[in-house]
Amino acid sequence: MKTPVGKECIAMLLAGGQGSRLGALTKTIAKPAVSFGGKYRIIDFTLSNCAHSGIDTVGVLTQYRPYLLNSYIGTGSAWGLDSSSGGVSILPPYATESGGRWYEGTADAVYRNLDYIRLYHPKYVLILSGDHIYRMDYRKMLRLHREKQADLTVSVMQVPLEEAPSFGVMTLDGQGRVTAFEEKPAHPASDLVSMGIYIFNADLLEQALLEDSDDDRSEHDFGKNIIPGLLEKGKRIYGYRFSGFWKDVGTIASYHETSMDLLESHPKFDLDDPRFPIFSNANISPPHYVGPDAVVQSSIVGNGSRILGTVIHSIVSVDCVVEAGATVRDCVLLSGAAVREGATVTRAILGENSTVEAGAVFGSADGEIAVIGDDFVVE
Amino acid sequence: MERIAGLVCANYETKGLGVLTEDRTIASLPFGGRYRMIDFSLSNMVNSGIRTVGLITPYKYRSIFDHIGAGKAWSLDRKDGGLFILPGSTFGVSGSRSRFLMRDLKRNEVFLKRSTAEYIILTAVDVICNLDYRPMVEYHERSGADVTLLFSEASTDAPLDPGLILDGDRVTAFTHGVRAGENAFCACFIIRRTLLIDVLGWYATVGHLDLFEALEADLDKTDVRAYRCPGYIRRILDVRDYYRCSMELLLPEVREEVLSKERPVLTKVRDSVPTKYLNGSKTRNSLVSAGCLIKGTVENSILFRSVKVEDGAVVRNSIILQSCVIEAGASVENAILDRGNVIAAGTVLKGSPGNAFVLGKKKI
Repeated sequence: MKTPVGKECIAMLLAGGQGSRLGALTKTIAKPAVSFGGKYRIIDFTLSNCAHSGIDTVGVLTQYRPYLLNSYIGTGSAWGLDSSSGGVSILPPYATESGGRWYEGTADAVYRNLDYIRLYHPKYVLILSGDHIYRMDYRKMLRLHREKQADLTVSVMQVPLEEAPSFGVMTLDGQGRVTAFEEKPAHPASDLVSMGIYIFNADLLEQALLEDSDDDRSEHDFGKNIIPGLLEKGKRIYGYRFSGFWKDVGTIASYHETSMDLLESHPKFDLDDPRFPIFSNANISPPHYVGPDAVVQSSIVGNGSRILGTVIHSIVSVDCVVEAGATVRDCVLLSGAAVREGATVTRAILGENSTVEAGAVFGSADGEIAVIGDDFVVE
Repeated sequence: MERIAGLVCANYETKGLGVLTEDRTIASLPFGGRYRMIDFSLSNMVNSGIRTVGLITPYKYRSIFDHIGAGKAWSLDRKDGGLFILPGSTFGVSGSRSRFLMRDLKRNEVFLKRSTAEYIILTAVDVICNLDYRPMVEYHERSGADVTLLFSEASTDAPLDPGLILDGDRVTAFTHGVRAGENAFCACFIIRRTLLIDVLGWYATVGHLDLFEALEADLDKTDVRAYRCPGYIRRILDVRDYYRCSMELLLPEVREEVLSKERPVLTKVRDSVPTKYLNGSKTRNSLVSAGCLIKGTVENSILFRSVKVEDGAVVRNSIILQSCVIEAGASVENAILDRGNVIAAGTVLKGSPGNAFVLGKKKI
């Protein structure tokens, strides 16, 4: 290994979350590994952002069911992140002479990997989560951070006021400096919310994490503990206003809704942007095949799929099968899902390599979105 | 020690493919929606466990280097073995039907000499098949032959292709030209590495010869045998072959074998988005690659990456290469459109099933 020289900015990507509100979809894999948009996994968006922002050193903090995520990320080459002077490193919890334990919060996870950060002597550390769908050039945020000579810059965006209570709400002054921060307030003082994207001066981050680790009452969470603590100390915290698309597909309803929006002729988030492509570590599958009696309308279809039946207003990911006489409507079929002959699937999400057997009826046009997990079979 | 090394011979041209190979080599001719011809030979090698592959480069090598790079897509970017780029000769190859030019092999003899493999599998790049070479190697070893050639029954008349006259599995003579049903040589064979080096030595002074002319002259003293290709195999020598073989991919049994899941055809990966079908589109019996946008009608066709078929446009029985746009109301039938063509609204392009209309690559 080369001796790393001082890096301008490295990223720490929090990918250990279970995403329990996604239910069956995260039963066997971590939320950042969940498929999205026909060929992607949620973490692709953040990794692609890093690649397009010139960040070549990314530590990925994993904890919950990490195997798929680990093998998917591999060397990072799919995102052009396999650099010899940095690259992607998977950082699971590890033991030291004083014992080992799980990551006990977002701040704890980064604290426990301070040695990794020190290895690269960065000036700045970008803290990211692998849970969101968005395109962002982090360099613009870093530019603001330097211009303001900030200690910490938090990316914020405007949301409808009624949605603000489910986020960390920030109040900015005329110069963009953060004057107040409240985690999930009942009565939000502003409609600007934190996107969970932080740029810290590296030495301040280290100091804050060391202090936090000694605090027994702390939950070791960036939003709940670190940021309020720094604000209280009068540190220079600035908000970077982001105005593009940003979505946490953290619930079945928002996952389904965000997926369905991709099917519009002008979706709110267009996957296809040649100036800022989303990279992914997709399998090499052949082109998909649409059969002689198939009907495909208002849908997205991935490589390797075979459609012999009817697919209306749905996402059919990679290597799926919709057999003759089957009908799929308002659905998301994740990679390898199969809908057998004559089955009807409506308003449902089918997990990877799951099967709806011949003639079965799954889901309905009204009511809850029907979901089956990976490898599940509906008879 | 590796037992087998591969040698992909890509240094030749054919006139038969017309504008499709005007500024690219056969090796980089797009095929099957997302592949290029060379992907099939390289993937067969890699999927047969071969880890060292030499590529004798064609004269027009820009497109092939663009595609192959360091061989990463085939896991051939290796510290030990991997892909070796071997320069082909630059003179006199135009229009030559020679696949295994002695001069090219002699020139790259050092690849053969440094190799420690026992056998070399040589293949041309105008062959479409998904073949595990291992049973062929076993066959070769069991028979104790000096050379084992891959053959199959010709699916059509090929007046310029070499054929084999067999006595059992022994090759007793070559023919020049085959008719449908006769035994056609499939431009792939296995030979002991040291024998190949010897043959190159014997014929060093006649480098313009094809290795097969040398073998033909020595048939009485060399044990040359034939191994029947167990599956689908086609050679692409002209536009008609290209069109027919492409269309055969629409047959489920051909598609499942050639584009097998178990032995995937590997190719350079681009990050195209999945294909989108809008309301009102009609697609039937077609193979569609990623990044396409379909609003019109597509039937019995193969669409490469990022093709747009606009409202009311019709594509039938056609092969549409990367980034073509079929504008509103245009109609394309029995045609091959090379990459980047924009068919203006209302235009009608029509070939016949036996004689596809071919539109060359849009000049950048």
